[in-house]
Amino acid sequence: MKRNVMVILTLILAMSTMLAACGGKNNNNEASSPAASPSASPSAPASESASPSEETVEPFTVSLRHIQIGEPQKFRKAILDEVVKRSEAEVPGVKFELDGIEDAVNRFTKLPAEMAAGNPPKIFDLFGGNADALKYAKAGRLLDLTPILDELGIKDKFLNVFGQFTLDGKIYGLPIGGSVEGVFYNTEIFQANDLNAPTTWDDLVKAADALKAKGITPFAMGSQAAWVPNMLVGTLVGRFANGFPNGIVTGEVKWNSPEVVGALSLYQDWVKNGYFTKGELGKSYDDMLNDFAAGKAGMMFDGSWRSSAFKEGAVAASMTGKVGFVALPALPNAAGDQTSLNANFSNGYGFSSDLDENELKAVKSFIKNLYNDEMQLRGLLEDGVLPSMKLSDESLAKVTDPVVKQVLDVMKAAGSTFVHFDAIAQKPVYSETELQLQKLIAGKATAQEFGDAVQKVQEVENAK
Amino acid sequence: MKNALRNPASYLMFIIPTIALYGLFFLYPMFSSVVYAFTNWNGLEETKFIGMANFETAFGDSNFRSAIINNMYFIVFSVGLQVPIIVLLALLISNVKRFKGFYKTTVFIPSILSTSVIGILWGFIYDPDIGPISAALKFFGIEPIYWLADSKWAMIALLLTNAWQWVGFFIVLILAAILAIPKDIDEAAAIDGANGTQRAWYLTIPLIKPIISVVVMLSIAGAMRVVDIVLVMTNGGPAGTTEVMASYMVNKAIKYGDYGYGMALSIIIFAFALVFTAIYQLTLGKTERIEY
Repeated sequence: MKRNVMVILTLILAMSTMLAACGGKNNNNEASSPAASPSASPSAPASESASPSEETVEPFTVSLRHIQIGEPQKFRKAILDEVVKRSEAEVPGVKFELDGIEDAVNRFTKLPAEMAAGNPPKIFDLFGGNADALKYAKAGRLLDLTPILDELGIKDKFLNVFGQFTLDGKIYGLPIGGSVEGVFYNTEIFQANDLNAPTTWDDLVKAADALKAKGITPFAMGSQAAWVPNMLVGTLVGRFANGFPNGIVTGEVKWNSPEVVGALSLYQDWVKNGYFTKGELGKSYDDMLNDFAAGKAGMMFDGSWRSSAFKEGAVAASMTGKVGFVALPALPNAAGDQTSLNANFSNGYGFSSDLDENELKAVKSFIKNLYNDEMQLRGLLEDGVLPSMKLSDESLAKVTDPVVKQVLDVMKAAGSTFVHFDAIAQKPVYSETELQLQKLIAGKATAQEFGDAVQKVQEVENAK
Repeated sequence: MKNALRNPASYLMFIIPTIALYGLFFLYPMFSSVVYAFTNWNGLEETKFIGMANFETAFGDSNFRSAIINNMYFIVFSVGLQVPIIVLLALLISNVKRFKGFYKTTVFIPSILSTSVIGILWGFIYDPDIGPISAALKFFGIEPIYWLADSKWAMIALLLTNAWQWVGFFIVLILAAILAIPKDIDEAAAIDGANGTQRAWYLTIPLIKPIISVVVMLSIAGAMRVVDIVLVMTNGGPAGTTEVMASYMVNKAIKYGDYGYGMALSIIIFAFALVFTAIYQLTLGKTERIEY
């Protein structure tokens, strides 16, 4: 009998040890937030439900996922660090745990997996659109920011930038800034070769041919990750087809229509003509900048955010004062709106819907400190990020960076804007465009095959 | 104490924790992945049972079919080329008189390096602008080859890198078997007038056949589940040329969030690996026990 008791006791001990080892580690948060679930116990003693005095708040952490890593992102990181510092000073006990990872890894691998598992960071870098913010919002993973924006009184200060973050009238993400996509060109190389700035289609093609003849790559390109060449493809399709990209989900625009296939054929012709970096499928996005900065290429199609690389102290500082920026010129005889510009307010921050009261305070403070005139202006001046909030003309006049000035001019001159199609297309559709584009570049698919393959996926997704 | 061991409960006490962990980390994930393979689970939306649809999609998917073919390349390359080279090098090393330890260590080093390190290292070696291979080709007036960016070369480049990583590990396995053969057998053959090649071919190789068989089996299994080197070096590119089954599965499940389909792919990979190794074990891999 005694032995049996011993055996049972030992068993219980072993099981409890194992259970303890498998247990969660949420004790901290619970201890630190006596009022974590505000609606939970209306009958709780007054002393407990009343807001605890700030001094007694135990330390807590708020995870913050960002993509500002590496040299090209250092200006953005400095702004983020400042915001974190201010918020930590403002909210007692909070410590932001910064987790910086590469943009594409966060967007396409880590965040989706965390969203599926239901444990995203509390604050995270987020892209707008059907494949990102709206999908997560539908699944209830994102914090509804509408009441917070009202509370902080900053909703009206934003430009009209919430399109890709709004679901059923509620805002689920805050774009940090905007960008336009266009052609960066090396003014020194253009002058040395007696070329006009590529403001018209003729000049652009002439420049490309002339550079090619001189042994200079016309366009730096890094197609290892297909979103990079997809920027130019998106803009070209916009030039050829009316209603792109919104029309792809409504069925108005078809990927295998003559217009879209025309744009894709033009792209393939450029590949065949040798307009892009040789071996582009093995080149990364950073390689593309390096090739451009090293003078190996005369032009580069990229987002306006790259302007910050060409200033003193930045990664391509050698190019300071030698870079021009223009919109992709109007294409003669093409059906799309030739003055429209691919402009996006698609990247910013989102917040987990799973927050306790303390974390919510930290989030509010973070929003207040990041989304204000000062930080928006800093973003514009230091980093060339177009503001997502309204800035006074006086503030805008402070811009001295020649490339940023050209970006602002390009924006002003645009007749209309359209978003990058990755914000509209469903994820499987966008992925298919990436695969087909790489095949097109490798010469393993024709423009028509590209269009047919993507349209097939598009129709399946549209029917869902 | 004696009585305690007669009590079945005490045995239970010892095995329950292990069985619980085994169940939690092995059985549960395995069975749940089988269940999810028949659903459209994407982690965010409502999960629906869709029968065999994922499997039908997989076999109708030309990209997955080309990934299967790429896995076959890995098998053919590792069994057809790698294994003979491994045996040859092991024989050579076993016969050197000096610096045997040095050779053993040197060939083994790549297998202790992390795949990421190897990916970066070989990425540099293959670099068309600054890599040593390009420099050598340039010296002979040959245009640089875009190893990882050209669909003609990318697969070969990957196969070579993968071989470089694993050859050393297998050499050490075979070397151990060769060195375990009693010296007197070899000496007797030498006295009978057999030269080095004859001794290697007629004596050593037949004696180490069981371990060669294990190496072949490990190579097949390794080729079926190869993924890390692909993800690090090309991520399946250029244009899907180097996509293998596992990298395709990782991309579908993790990048596209199509977990149900990813699970189905993982079951297909498992089935392939099982069938291939079983076929090998039941046919060519059958070896007799050797006693000296």
